[in-house]
Amino acid sequence: MAVIADTPPRPRRFRVGARALPYLLSLPALLVCIGILIPFGTAIWYSLQRYRLSQPWARRMNWGQNYVDFLSDPAFWNTLQVSMVYAATAVVVQLVLGLSIALLLQRRTRLNNVISIMLLLPLMTAPVLASLMWTLMTNANFGVLSWAAGQIGFEDMRWASSPRTALFTVLLVDIWVYTPFMVILLLAGLRSLPSQPFEAAALDGAPRLFVFWRITLPMLTPYILTASLFRLLDAIQQFDIIYGMTQGGPGNTLMVFQVEAYLNFFQQTNVGRSAALMMILWAITYALSAVFIKQWLRLRERARGEV
Amino acid sequence: MAGIDLDNVTKRFKGTAALDGVSLTVPEGETLALFGPSGSGKTVLLRVIAGVVQPDAGRVRLGGRDVTEEPPEDRGVGMAFQNFALFPHMSAFDNIAAPLTARRDAPSVLKAGVERVAKLLKIDHVLGQAPRQLSNGQKQRTALARAMAGQPKVLLLDDPLRNVDAKLRFEMRLELPRLLAREGVTAIYVTQDYREAMALGKRIAVLFEGRIAQIATPDEIYHAPATLAIAKLFGDPAINVLDVTPERDAHGPFARLSDRRAPLDPGLAHAVGRACVLGVRPEAIRFVDAEAPGAVPVTVEAETPLNEKTVTLAVTRRGRELLISRPAGAPGPATGPAHVAVDSVHALLFDRETGARIAPEPPGGAIRGAAA
Amino acid sequence: MDHASPLERILRGVALTVVVVFFMFPLVWILLMSFQTNETILRSPPSLVFQPTLDNYRALLGGRLVGAGSTLQVSYVQNLMNSVILSVSSVSLALLLGVPAAYAFARFRFRGSEDIAFTLLSFRFAPPLLVLLPLALYFQQIGLANTYIGLIWVYQLIVLPLILWIVRGYFEDISPDVEYAYRLAGHSWFAAFRKIALPLAGPGIAAAGLLAFIFAWNNFVFALVLASADKQPVTVGALAFITASGIQFGQIAAAIVLSNAPTLLLALYAQRHLVEGLSLGAVKG
Repeated sequence: MAVIADTPPRPRRFRVGARALPYLLSLPALLVCIGILIPFGTAIWYSLQRYRLSQPWARRMNWGQNYVDFLSDPAFWNTLQVSMVYAATAVVVQLVLGLSIALLLQRRTRLNNVISIMLLLPLMTAPVLASLMWTLMTNANFGVLSWAAGQIGFEDMRWASSPRTALFTVLLVDIWVYTPFMVILLLAGLRSLPSQPFEAAALDGAPRLFVFWRITLPMLTPYILTASLFRLLDAIQQFDIIYGMTQGGPGNTLMVFQVEAYLNFFQQTNVGRSAALMMILWAITYALSAVFIKQWLRLRERARGEV
Repeated sequence: MAGIDLDNVTKRFKGTAALDGVSLTVPEGETLALFGPSGSGKTVLLRVIAGVVQPDAGRVRLGGRDVTEEPPEDRGVGMAFQNFALFPHMSAFDNIAAPLTARRDAPSVLKAGVERVAKLLKIDHVLGQAPRQLSNGQKQRTALARAMAGQPKVLLLDDPLRNVDAKLRFEMRLELPRLLAREGVTAIYVTQDYREAMALGKRIAVLFEGRIAQIATPDEIYHAPATLAIAKLFGDPAINVLDVTPERDAHGPFARLSDRRAPLDPGLAHAVGRACVLGVRPEAIRFVDAEAPGAVPVTVEAETPLNEKTVTLAVTRRGRELLISRPAGAPGPATGPAHVAVDSVHALLFDRETGARIAPEPPGGAIRGAAA
Repeated sequence: MDHASPLERILRGVALTVVVVFFMFPLVWILLMSFQTNETILRSPPSLVFQPTLDNYRALLGGRLVGAGSTLQVSYVQNLMNSVILSVSSVSLALLLGVPAAYAFARFRFRGSEDIAFTLLSFRFAPPLLVLLPLALYFQQIGLANTYIGLIWVYQLIVLPLILWIVRGYFEDISPDVEYAYRLAGHSWFAAFRKIALPLAGPGIAAAGLLAFIFAWNNFVFALVLASADKQPVTVGALAFITASGIQFGQIAAAIVLSNAPTLLLALYAQRHLVEGLSLGAVKG
């Protein structure tokens, strides 16, 4: 700056810090999180190695070999498929259920408010505890659900212990825990929609289905997208419920990414393969979260603008 | 010593200049009205003075001291915000006391200080209430009281009457100049209402697209606006604008209005032949008989009362619309054909291209030139 | 919809009943189970008629589980304590770090601000095991394995982004003019932060803290990987129960109820703010 202030020097209390202030404020938070970047880098490093804890002498770089091996590894393809099926089914079912329930609860009556508060409870239950609750309820000896299934003709329903019903059972728990998330977000979305289009449609005597498909659904789309992407990001990484109920079994029916990586690491002590698996999951979630964050930001901007 | 002195202040937001080389001096104890259309940079200018917005270039001096690099709390400036910006979680008393607590005044001094301004602004009976319990008018007075409580040398008022009702606005318009004079404070008063600007400012600075278009007394701005745009902003109903090309004959310069000769100020001889715009205030046109000299035939289309005057819309034969105002109660013609006389000698002449006013040359012949 | 047909009203009623039963039944059933002895639990068909007993809770909190012919020492109270220590400390730390950062992101558009904010947010969406597995090896080496400090640090990964983004929204809702007004009155930047911004964002900060607490409490995988028995929270502890032999089913149910109660009560308490929190501020409740 060319101009020199023609004033006596004043105590430069905050002036020096003024520009640095925002950095100073956010630095501690950043420093605490930066430590996380180190293990992240390490994970990349490990994924390029032949590294088994049980054979430390054989540890060496094998570059992309872990990834190349995946191509011919049926276990990997199984993991990918199970993760995708699990996440997609969970999100679709939860979306349909969530939207239906939100529509049921749309009017602000006392009963509806009480029900929507009740719906918070499954969502706030730790997923691993939820899996324990359902394990107790589906116990072959005394589980109330096993008994109920027997009453309606499924005498030998073995729930999570049978390869045929394990996915269904675990999804049931996922749906129980996370459908309320959809309900709550979509309900907030529904209640924030402007009322004029609906009033105009009512005046025109438009049929309900028409109103739903042509007015409600298009206006609700940003909320639906945000909520679904949010859920998809979580569901593809599901660990707690599956690990809590079946540890990926029976057999490998529920070997989703994180469970597979966890078992690879702690049971087979195959660090290299485990890290490579996580890198692939990370790539998937990264791509998803890029789409999600854009969508989420748009919605957030709108919510803040309406204050 | 100047109370406020801005030197070439420039501020850009995302490439577009909100303030473009603004220089401005307000003598100590004077109130300057800062007037301009919305988006002209008034509020940004005020914020630069307050230290809430950092200018990209230029200096800000208050009482001779360069404060450009100083944070807001060290500038000794009081400011009333357009949206009041009261502290919602504090009582009116604590709101007003904020400048005094900053100085760590003793409780008794603090109480006396708050009560002094509260009495001045007639809100001493609501000091215990929270902002949300106050009426809009009381909120506005609380905001003003807070700005003044610390007896700052410089007071910045950002359109403080914008969000209050008409009656209160009128009251405050009368009350404020007295109050400001009494405090002896140097003030800048931002407004979008030309009448407020004329009532409150000893001088008015007109801001257009981040630049000062004119600084002058209210009277000068009204009678000798620097540009057509300024002329259009001051006056209600707005000034009539007619495209003309001045001619001259033996009697001097004139403009043609519906084929009638409308004489111009003799000093405007130098404008002959230029493409111009003639600005005629609605009160400079009056209805006359058909036989009156220079009478222009028009058709009266509509009439509307506007406070103390009546405004008539008339159309000339060429289809040009004219607004004509006369004191309320004065008789006027019915709709249909009529005649008007235009006081063209005192009309304002602007260059059609640049919009700058073409000032008459004094009889002596010395060139004063067009106002910038 | 005031003039819905009777049929429609009945269908609505049925649908709502199904919804309530599906989502409430497991919670209610486990609660009932926790007051029963093994004998009543094992009855077939299951029945709602039983003599309630507090034995399960007594045994759990006393640490001595008397099973079928054997006595088992469990440290469920220790698990509960660990959950409290981990959740309270990590949320306190996150508030301490996150609130000033949230304020910086809300108030200043400084170079790199959005990048930093999004980097912190991206931690929320990255697979936790990606960093946890290498971290487990590092923690062994630097002695952070199985320590509260190590766990609290890792917990920041979930609580910090949550607090940062929610609180940022609340700060953004405060008009900057209100703070400017305070500074123009002669108060320092820090005074304006303390006396204006913090009190006005207070309810939002509290809600964000509660939600972060719930998420920390419910977390499972961090402690599963990084903690041994004596530092494990209830989520990991409860899972160990079900696989341990000789534990009565009522005691497992009681453990689930005790582990779940704090978060559910907090959720009910803070329910008005939860919508905004769950969507990280994208949806207003």
